[in-house]
Amino acid sequence: MLMHTDRMGVSASTGAGRQGRPAVQLDGVTKRFGGAMALHEAWLKIQPSEFMTLLGPSGCGKTTLLNLVAGFLEADNGEIFIEGALVTETPAHQREIGIVFQNYALFPHMSVANNIAYGLKTRGIDKKEIARRVDDALALVKLEGFGDRKPRQLSGGQQQRVALARALVIKPKVLLLDEPFSALDKNLRGSMQVELKQIQRELGVTTIFVTHDQGEALSMSDRIAVMSAGRIRQIAAPGDVYRRPADRFVASFVGNVNVLTGCLVERRGEVATVSVGGMRLGVPAAPLAQAAIGDVVDVFIRPEHLALMSGSTPGSLRGTVTAQVFQGDHIDLYIDVAGVAREPVLLRAPGIAALSSCPVGTEVGLVVRSDDVVAFLPEASS
Amino acid sequence: MKRSPAAIALRWSGRVLVAAILLFVLLPGIVVAVTAFNDRALLAFPPQAWSLRWFWRAFSYSDFGRGFWNGLTVTLWASSIALVVGAAFAIAIHRYTFVLKSLLEGILLSPLIIPHYTIGLGVLILASQTGAGRGFPLVILTHVLLVLPFVMRSTFISLENLDGRLELAASSLGATPGRVLLTVTIPLLLPGLLSGWLFAAILSFNEFTATLFVSSQATQTLPVAMYNYVREFADPTLAALSVIYIAVTALLLSFANAFLGLEKILNVDAH
Amino acid sequence: MTKRPFLGWFVSPAGLVALGLTAAMAAVFQFSMRAYIPGSLEVGGFTLQNFAALVRPLYALAFWNTILLCFETAAFTLILAYPLAYALVRTRSSAVRSFILIAAVTPLFLGEVVRTYSWMIVLGNNGFLNTLLVKLGLVARPVQMMFTSGGVIAALVHVTMPIMVIMLAAGLSHIDRNCEKAAESLGAGPVRVFLTITLPLSMPGIVAGFSTAFAWTFSAFATPQLIGGGRVSTVSTLIYQLGFSSFNFPFAASLSIVGLALSLAVIALLKQATRPLERLASAT
Repeated sequence: MLMHTDRMGVSASTGAGRQGRPAVQLDGVTKRFGGAMALHEAWLKIQPSEFMTLLGPSGCGKTTLLNLVAGFLEADNGEIFIEGALVTETPAHQREIGIVFQNYALFPHMSVANNIAYGLKTRGIDKKEIARRVDDALALVKLEGFGDRKPRQLSGGQQQRVALARALVIKPKVLLLDEPFSALDKNLRGSMQVELKQIQRELGVTTIFVTHDQGEALSMSDRIAVMSAGRIRQIAAPGDVYRRPADRFVASFVGNVNVLTGCLVERRGEVATVSVGGMRLGVPAAPLAQAAIGDVVDVFIRPEHLALMSGSTPGSLRGTVTAQVFQGDHIDLYIDVAGVAREPVLLRAPGIAALSSCPVGTEVGLVVRSDDVVAFLPEASS
Repeated sequence: MKRSPAAIALRWSGRVLVAAILLFVLLPGIVVAVTAFNDRALLAFPPQAWSLRWFWRAFSYSDFGRGFWNGLTVTLWASSIALVVGAAFAIAIHRYTFVLKSLLEGILLSPLIIPHYTIGLGVLILASQTGAGRGFPLVILTHVLLVLPFVMRSTFISLENLDGRLELAASSLGATPGRVLLTVTIPLLLPGLLSGWLFAAILSFNEFTATLFVSSQATQTLPVAMYNYVREFADPTLAALSVIYIAVTALLLSFANAFLGLEKILNVDAH
Repeated sequence: MTKRPFLGWFVSPAGLVALGLTAAMAAVFQFSMRAYIPGSLEVGGFTLQNFAALVRPLYALAFWNTILLCFETAAFTLILAYPLAYALVRTRSSAVRSFILIAAVTPLFLGEVVRTYSWMIVLGNNGFLNTLLVKLGLVARPVQMMFTSGGVIAALVHVTMPIMVIMLAAGLSHIDRNCEKAAESLGAGPVRVFLTITLPLSMPGIVAGFSTAFAWTFSAFATPQLIGGGRVSTVSTLIYQLGFSSFNFPFAASLSIVGLALSLAVIALLKQATRPLERLASAT
């Protein structure tokens, strides 16, 4: 089931969260900076305890949206609700949110313990209780005993954990994270992602996570909101975003995809048939509603949907291998399929057999082994 | 966003405060400007009648004219010498280590802390002991001493902002160190060097205290001439001169801001 | 090819200049220990008389006055310059920013004489302030502002503002805005954010500004001379008097040396005292 925005009313997503009053809701929120629209009407409902990721390239509006929820920016239009309460005009320091910044933003002039205690002090909690909660928070992020250190004495990963503890200790209504892991190296990033997810599940805190890394989004989220150019393109569970992208932007931004030229042959209810180089494939009909039979369409096929056959297999797409790239556990093969694809088609061959069996120049045949093929109207008209 | 009354009050009281302080900063300038157009000779306020006669007098008073040219001579020499010496030295301290580096740096930056009258006194005593006359070279030397720290600082900031890899790239492409210096380093440092020179020139032209000690009747610069005038006469001529000063300086600075970005030079821009 | 090309070329001219400065300072040192021969520019043999003469209360008072003046000036300047520096760095309007920058920085480039002279017109008995006060009926007769230390301080604060604004603004501009946002998100209102985050983190700028203001004020001459009119005695005006009225250069020299030593001592003390404050704000 394809979904564009929550406004359409379609909401049967596979994901965590009970249906009920949303934890965070945006109704038609817009934001303009000078002459440019940073966010076109955004409609979004985030369920309690849900891990929602805002995914998109830089400049897509995801950080703007985060800042609007946090209260650091004022919306030009629309309303924002947190746990049912209208907060559009509430200043940031009254919104009960916790935020983790990309550069950690720990207070350099305070110890780790005082950093974490800051939000508790503003709430007038008594000293003993503060000390207890700070200790609990440090234990939660596995930094027991680090209370007296200064931020500059900690590594990047440790600083990030303090930032997380500081945001969580106040028991926020929403946890906001702005590309928190982009400054960490790959291995550290992986372990931090796992830790964050564990903590989030344990505490059940509603979370909005901003990133441009689609791998991160796919692995951590309950639902993903894919954004580009100030608009939300699709809100769905990771599986649906990957297998049923709502438009060509989502299809090409999330994961790898090959774009082949085909033509619309038939349309029956919710399924349409396209022909790619003679091969007939079934695709969702909805994105092609504007096309007439016989029109040229772009067919999006992921590398893992393709299988390699010998060049003479009937009903396959004929092509020539133009490059091999060794990737450790598989080989990336680039295959030139004349007349059907402008760029070489990417296919993943597991193991290393392909290195010897399909050298550059080999004639091969490609078949599609999946139902998850989608098609969209060509660029100019969509 | 509807802000709470407290937040609104805070914002507006902040604005009022800043406006009041700006008024304090601008007050003397405004008062002087009004006085300069006063017809009467007294330093009274407010003026009864208006006239431009003090501007004429400012231009025609020979001591001022001579002071202006003297000042210009000293300034051009001093800031240019300071630019060459200071920039070269700044490059040396930024990149190299060498014997006596900290000592030299300390000595050359000390005029920032040593009162100008002490330096003036020292140069004066030195001159009288060595028999050197109180001519232009003496004044120029003094000014070089005083503005050198600013040129060094400004060049240093520029060096910090310079991407060293550009010079490495030039080297890798076959350029000798001299060529790298001339074709890459100096062109990239140019805005900083220019602003350092401008800074030094303005400070030198307006320098008073040390110049009072080391200049003579023949070499007196404009500020010294103005000082002598104030002690003798009490008319608004100096006000007229001040107005000209303020107008020219504000213009120069607006230029500098538009082309070079004052904020960057003063290291005040937000990062 | 050496690893340090042009080192000699870059350093020698500077070395010469440094030599010149050292020679000038050595001259002052030397003269402070020579006897003064009244009525001539010649000096006599070596003596410590010049330093002994400084012990008199007259001079001790001058030193104390000067230091007090410097502290008061630096303190008032800090209080007035901070809001300006804050507005300069935080305003979103570039027109406002340019205006504050030009307005605050221009006085720096006008030279002591012009600035001091304009204050004379403001403070004089027939000047701006008095005329205003009389016209508004707040006072019956003009209030004496010229030739008082209050007037001198007002003018000195005005003179010191530009450099303080610049240093404070430099410090403020380096503060990570995300820290303030984080504090806000944790429930701190604007005032609390300022007191617990912005102010502490701007300490390096405050310390640098205060020390520089102190050193500059100690150096001031034209302002205390013209506005103080001989009735506000500072180290600088005394030295000028000794040097150009009585031509007693040796004594002027000894006064300079002690004055310099004193100001350096105070600045060093300031640095020590504010070191914990500076470390308060050190980031990574």
